[in-house]
Amino acid sequence: MWHRLQAFRSHLWTMMAINRQSWEKPVSITPLITFRIAFGLLMFVSTLRFWWRGWVDAVYVSPSFHFTYWGFEWVQPFGRPGMYLLYSIIACTALMIAVGLLYRLATVLFFICFTYVELIDVTTYLNHYYFISLVAFLMIWLPANRLYAIDVLIKPAKRRLLVPAWTIGIIRFQLGVVYFFAGLAKLNPDWLLDAQPMKTWLPAKSHLPIVGALMYKDWVAYLFSWFGALYDLCIVFFLLNRSTRLSAYAFVLIFHISTAIFFPGIGLFPYVMIVSSLIFFSSSFHERLLSFLPGYKASGHIVTAYTFTYKKWLYRIMLVYVGLQCLVPVRFLLYPDHLFWTEEGYRFSWRVMLMEKAGAAYFTVKDKTGKQFYTVNNAEFLTPLQEKMMSTQPDMILRYAHFLADTYAQRGIAQPRVYGEVYVTLNGAGSRLFIDSSVNLAAERFSWKHYPWILPYKAAN
Amino acid sequence: MGFLAATVITAGVFCSKSGNGDDNGNDNGFDKTAMLTNYADQLIIPAYQSLQEKVNGFQALANSFLDTRSTANQQALLEAYKQLHLQYTRVEAYNLGPAVVASLEVYLNYNGGLDYNFASNGELVGFSIDSTTIENNISSGSYDLSLYVRNSFYAQGFAALNYLFFGPNAIAKFNTNTANRVKYAKDVIHRMKSLVDRINTDWTAYRTEFISNTRTNVGSPIGNMINAMAYELDVLKGPRIGWPFGKQSNGIAFPTKVEAYFAGNSAALAQESMRNLKKVFTANGSGKGLSDYLISLDKAELASQVTAQFDLLISKLDMLPDPLSTTITAQPAKVEEAYKEIQKLLTLIKTDVASATGVQITFMDNDGD
Repeated sequence: MWHRLQAFRSHLWTMMAINRQSWEKPVSITPLITFRIAFGLLMFVSTLRFWWRGWVDAVYVSPSFHFTYWGFEWVQPFGRPGMYLLYSIIACTALMIAVGLLYRLATVLFFICFTYVELIDVTTYLNHYYFISLVAFLMIWLPANRLYAIDVLIKPAKRRLLVPAWTIGIIRFQLGVVYFFAGLAKLNPDWLLDAQPMKTWLPAKSHLPIVGALMYKDWVAYLFSWFGALYDLCIVFFLLNRSTRLSAYAFVLIFHISTAIFFPGIGLFPYVMIVSSLIFFSSSFHERLLSFLPGYKASGHIVTAYTFTYKKWLYRIMLVYVGLQCLVPVRFLLYPDHLFWTEEGYRFSWRVMLMEKAGAAYFTVKDKTGKQFYTVNNAEFLTPLQEKMMSTQPDMILRYAHFLADTYAQRGIAQPRVYGEVYVTLNGAGSRLFIDSSVNLAAERFSWKHYPWILPYKAAN
Repeated sequence: MGFLAATVITAGVFCSKSGNGDDNGNDNGFDKTAMLTNYADQLIIPAYQSLQEKVNGFQALANSFLDTRSTANQQALLEAYKQLHLQYTRVEAYNLGPAVVASLEVYLNYNGGLDYNFASNGELVGFSIDSTTIENNISSGSYDLSLYVRNSFYAQGFAALNYLFFGPNAIAKFNTNTANRVKYAKDVIHRMKSLVDRINTDWTAYRTEFISNTRTNVGSPIGNMINAMAYELDVLKGPRIGWPFGKQSNGIAFPTKVEAYFAGNSAALAQESMRNLKKVFTANGSGKGLSDYLISLDKAELASQVTAQFDLLISKLDMLPDPLSTTITAQPAKVEEAYKEIQKLLTLIKTDVASATGVQITFMDNDGD
């Protein structure tokens, strides 16, 4: 037994050594350059779109209360001018990333500002915002400004044609994580056997030309569900394989363009994925792509590859990062009961368009004697979007209950007790009581553990 | 390419499952355009036309009263008023398109908005009447009823009619500053009439847009109708009954904040609003309503659950006699019972119905939590 373990260990080390050679192998920088330009431009457009639609005001200025993340209660909006300043910085740094101007500063600022904004309110959590934060973090470390960038115009000595292979690999890994875990998440009975929530969502799309009439057909819902699951699970492998890459990318286009048509509410996510997936293409492809750009010149006699100064530390950071990326999406396994019901371990796990959930939440505040009795008017404190999101997510319910306790204490109620009567419907099953309405939520604490006040999920008859 | 083939095959295998499933002939889909056409032609447009007739009738009687301010004329006017206000509750659920453009609800029957707290937000909340602004407008003789501010909303529409025609010493008050007071009353009615006229005209053009948009996103007719149903129930749960009853305020009642306080038909209005909302849900049993759409989505059980809850709620509301301002303190148990049923119906609409129809509530991006 011991010998076998020893043998396995030495085998592992050999593999890592070989891999080390392959992940440090100098490769063309061009995929990174395309990625930098596309990411920067897309982020610029996305920021303007958010601004243009009035969402900065709607989401970060008007609401009087925000659902902060546990441990990030200090992240608060800056008021109207402050928020617009923050969005200006995000837009500017996105453009700076695209053109490769003061790249390191731009990526750091973009990452900090974007992540700060996203941490203000759980209500606005979207997987692709999380993805953007992660990619921005990675880009801080990557030498994506060493070609076709203003930085190398200013300092031509910084110009490089080759970079260590892992700098491209890490972005491919990140995309792989997004797709693969999104695919794994779809392997559940509701999705595969009942075609839920597709069966619920598609009939609402009957206005679409040509395919509209098909939207009521069950087999279409199954087709969407199964194709979606298979696509997410397999696409990365087909993209990695050179012989299938081109047709796989055609699928990327088909899949994401149809998601954009069928579910416009998903926003820019399809475009983020379409553009990001280009990273899988070969350097010669990127070489050709970039050659269409004005002033692009990759010739020259620089043979020295880019090398990292603090390699050891960077590798450690990246290893921890990779480990976390693999573990965070499966943390839900540590919780009891049905994930979709409790949503414990749901966020940051690439669960996109996975369930249809709606709730209605009614709160009452009582004083310590239980004699005084106030019905809370949610609209007094929350925007419709905040109320909708809170009604189905336990940690938001708890956050809100604590806020209500504080608010009613200020209104002169001694030691307020907060009770929630919350009804939730999941994937078309009839709405039912979601949390124990006899529990004083004001006395319940935030925790990594399962919240016992969430009522157990009962499968539909 | 292999996995596309695999997908098609597996999908093919699974679609055969639907054959023995519980789908009630939804293979041919559901004609949403026919549903919307039915709503426009059989419910919405006739309701607005009837509102227009009632406004005209009321205006004529009001003119007679303003000429000869007798108790008999006042009584006749009160009857017309009640009919007019009841008819308004029958269009309230169609707060979309032209009605939104004209801000019909805030100018005719302002409920104070749903984001107010009765216990801590002062005087002008819910269905208040701003007699101070009304009297100031009369004495100064200069006012702009199209101002988009709370005081303006509370000084016109049904609130103003209540106060001017049926308030305390209504007839006697016309004896001082008569010309100004008569003019104000006429102006208020004229403004109501012009808003209603405008909506009737606008619907002629809007009808095409309404019946051709079969989407369910925010601002779409179907989306608007379902959101309006939830809104009507929120209004009933809040400003119409719950808040004057003292739900927000530890049982401290606000009798003067009931709808149409001086005309005294608040309970009738609440009852009619739900009778009408049930009609909206079932499209008056025409077979082309939202309830039928639910049935086509395999949600027959939900459709009948909602209809049954409507019936239960209406029966509980019918137990509340007018004037509601006394009932909320005299018979709290009955109000409490009705309140519970309101909440049950609201839950069904906000969760199950909204979910089943894929209706969205905001424009924000979301990835399907």
